[in-house]
Amino acid sequence: MTFGRSQSLAGLDHGRQAFGAALRARELTLAVLIVAVVIGMALASPHFLSLANFRAISIGLVPIAICAIGMTVLLASGGFDLSVGSVLALSSTIVALLLIAGAPIPVAVAGALLLGVAVGLVNGLVVTKIGVNPLVATLGSMLIARGIALVITEGFSLSSLPPAFGWAGRAEIAGVPFLLWVTLFLVVGFDLAMRHGSFFRKIYYIGANEKAARLSGLAVDRIKIVAYVLSGALAALAGVLLASRLMSGTPTAGNALELQVLAAAVIGGASLKGGEGTILGAFLGVIFVALLNNAMTMLAVSIYWQMIVTGAVLIAAVAFDMLVRRGEG
Amino acid sequence: MAAPLLALSGVSKAFGTTQALAGVSFDLYPGEVHALVGENGAGKSTLLAVLTGVVTPDSGTIAIDGKHVTIDGPARAQALGIGTVFQELSLAGSLTVAENIFAGRLPTMAGFVRWKELRRRAREVLGAFGMEIPVDRTVDSLPAGARQLVEIAKALSLDSRILLLDEPTSALTNDEVEALLGIVARLKARGMGVVYVSHKLSEVFRIADRITVLRDGCLVGTRPAAATSVSSVVRDMVGRDLAPSDEDARRTPGAIALKARGLSRHGEFADIDLELRSREIVGLAGLVGSRRTELARTLGGLAAPHSGAVEVRGSPIRFGSPRDAMALGVVYVPDDRKSEGLFLSRSVMDNAVVTTLRRLSRFGVINAASSRMVAHHAVDRFRIKARGIDLPAGSLSGGNQQKLMLAKWLATNPGIVIVNEPTKGVDIEAKREIHNHLRRLAEAGAAILAVSSDLLELLAISDRIVIMREGRVVGTVGGRAATEEEIMRLAAGAGHHGVGEAA
Repeated sequence: MTFGRSQSLAGLDHGRQAFGAALRARELTLAVLIVAVVIGMALASPHFLSLANFRAISIGLVPIAICAIGMTVLLASGGFDLSVGSVLALSSTIVALLLIAGAPIPVAVAGALLLGVAVGLVNGLVVTKIGVNPLVATLGSMLIARGIALVITEGFSLSSLPPAFGWAGRAEIAGVPFLLWVTLFLVVGFDLAMRHGSFFRKIYYIGANEKAARLSGLAVDRIKIVAYVLSGALAALAGVLLASRLMSGTPTAGNALELQVLAAAVIGGASLKGGEGTILGAFLGVIFVALLNNAMTMLAVSIYWQMIVTGAVLIAAVAFDMLVRRGEG
Repeated sequence: MAAPLLALSGVSKAFGTTQALAGVSFDLYPGEVHALVGENGAGKSTLLAVLTGVVTPDSGTIAIDGKHVTIDGPARAQALGIGTVFQELSLAGSLTVAENIFAGRLPTMAGFVRWKELRRRAREVLGAFGMEIPVDRTVDSLPAGARQLVEIAKALSLDSRILLLDEPTSALTNDEVEALLGIVARLKARGMGVVYVSHKLSEVFRIADRITVLRDGCLVGTRPAAATSVSSVVRDMVGRDLAPSDEDARRTPGAIALKARGLSRHGEFADIDLELRSREIVGLAGLVGSRRTELARTLGGLAAPHSGAVEVRGSPIRFGSPRDAMALGVVYVPDDRKSEGLFLSRSVMDNAVVTTLRRLSRFGVINAASSRMVAHHAVDRFRIKARGIDLPAGSLSGGNQQKLMLAKWLATNPGIVIVNEPTKGVDIEAKREIHNHLRRLAEAGAAILAVSSDLLELLAISDRIVIMREGRVVGTVGGRAATEEEIMRLAAGAGHHGVGEAA
């Protein structure tokens, strides 16, 4: 979260390093935990350390990871977005509808992405210009987007898409699924943008103190709207990629996805108070939860227990953070 | 004469090294309105806090009906018959008048609220004091004056015999003030004792039987209102000699930088004409309720005026967004550094560079090295004591936070600076440094409007001082030649009512 290292005045470094370390602690802790789970599982299950398993895990986490980018940006700005799961579903059905109607692939994809942008724009305008609480605004758009997806498909999945559309879902580059490449590219790009980009740095100011940000001359409303648009667009992209992988548009896809995304982002260090969180942290949070679920599946733990464990990890992560801060204060 | 209802003697209280009250004695008789006046920091609030059990005195005694008592908490104060109406109202806005009056004491039967009974009792309380307020309205839907009366009714419904009113008219219109003073007179006629704390001496002289003046925590004196005058009370309040304003280089104000004409905002201020020149510091003085902050916020672009015009260097401006104001070289430095001024959880560096991110970026990427340099430069220039620029701003002391806040806005090299309470809650050394920064800024060509409740501060830095009262400019005095008494008299409105002459 610092602007990188530079030789600073002697004597100041102690406090600086301690603070920098505290900020990075969440990412480090998660990385250590992830390694621990991998080692533990490698010993516990012969099937865990296989290419097939890792491929399954990585492809499975793609939609959550992509949505978590937008969610983390929004959380850092002091907002959030409950509509991502529904937008993902709506986008997957829209892209499928357009393809079935005979639209070329780029047109169909652009249409679905535009739809995500539109939902994000509405969310952003309703929150900033009308002043509706983000929870209420995006809860509303979550229901509306899901409802539209169900209405236009009458609840059925749309399959028999042109085979070429499935390329993104199947392709591998250097042995790594294309979907994972896209995800990694987005994670790295947005992580750097949030650390060094002047536009995205402003997000943290707004989340830390919106009044002060306004008085400091930041275009608060415009920046917040862009954050909502980004979240909608990324959710729509996740929907297109999912449709490509499944070769169908599914109106019921991504059910309760928004809560998994929120949980992963918070485990990764974002806060509902705003002003903090990194994309890398959120991505590590996504990986950690995915690994944990995979490990439990491998160990034949019931799916119901997996929910309980995820919930416990979420609360433990935030509680740990609170306790550490109380110790510092 | 009957025994006093309330008698404090030799009450002292220190907070750290600050002696907030030093051996203060004060008494109150039944059927009396006893006014308590003094400048900010004179000890009025501490005295009220002692009477309401919020603060325990270090020494001294309190007696009610001649019996020695200990007030160890608000509940105890209530039980002793002391009702209080604070400056900041403590009503639940979304609940009804009746629910507020009986908050925490709703009449119930088997766990259910007896609404009819509640309304009847609320009407009874309001009616007894001649307040005509519908009991089923929510408090939010009432005008400020009625809310104030509800608060009083709430205090009275506790069978209080002593009522403490802290600046009760600061948010009221003239008609509402009349209504409130009428109620106070009625309470007095019923034998209650009222302690009336107010800045507005014209009101004090209308309603009070006796006036007690506090200054720097000490009792200056208690006199019957009939035997004193506004000017002698003002002299008692100010008391000390003017501190010499130090090292003030003679500035010659330059061209007009900002000009406001006929500026009005409904319910706040009206017909304000104001000019700021470059190389000039203009002080803006006024008591609580004078709307000086509202005017400053409008000039700083936080709110748009309903009518009137603002010109910056000759071109007319329609303010309403701090961002637009900043683009024109106008900055507003707020008085509340925690809620509006700083990003306390972000680093000193993040705070120092936020207003100049554009200059520090190329192709949308922030230059880390330049940012560090700018932040180090700000820390040096404003002598901000920080253990490192990567520490959160919240870890700095109040004075250093204040300096960081100035550094943050002055980084944009504004031509016009509107600064609200520039030294709020800072120590003497930091105060001096901040004053010197403002002077240097003016010498370098900026036009500065300094809003402050600290008259000594305004006298020390201003070329001239504009005085507001109840949303209007009531006078302008030269910064060097002026006295606190002159300003206080204008601000309190004594001249307006024709009471008292210049000392």
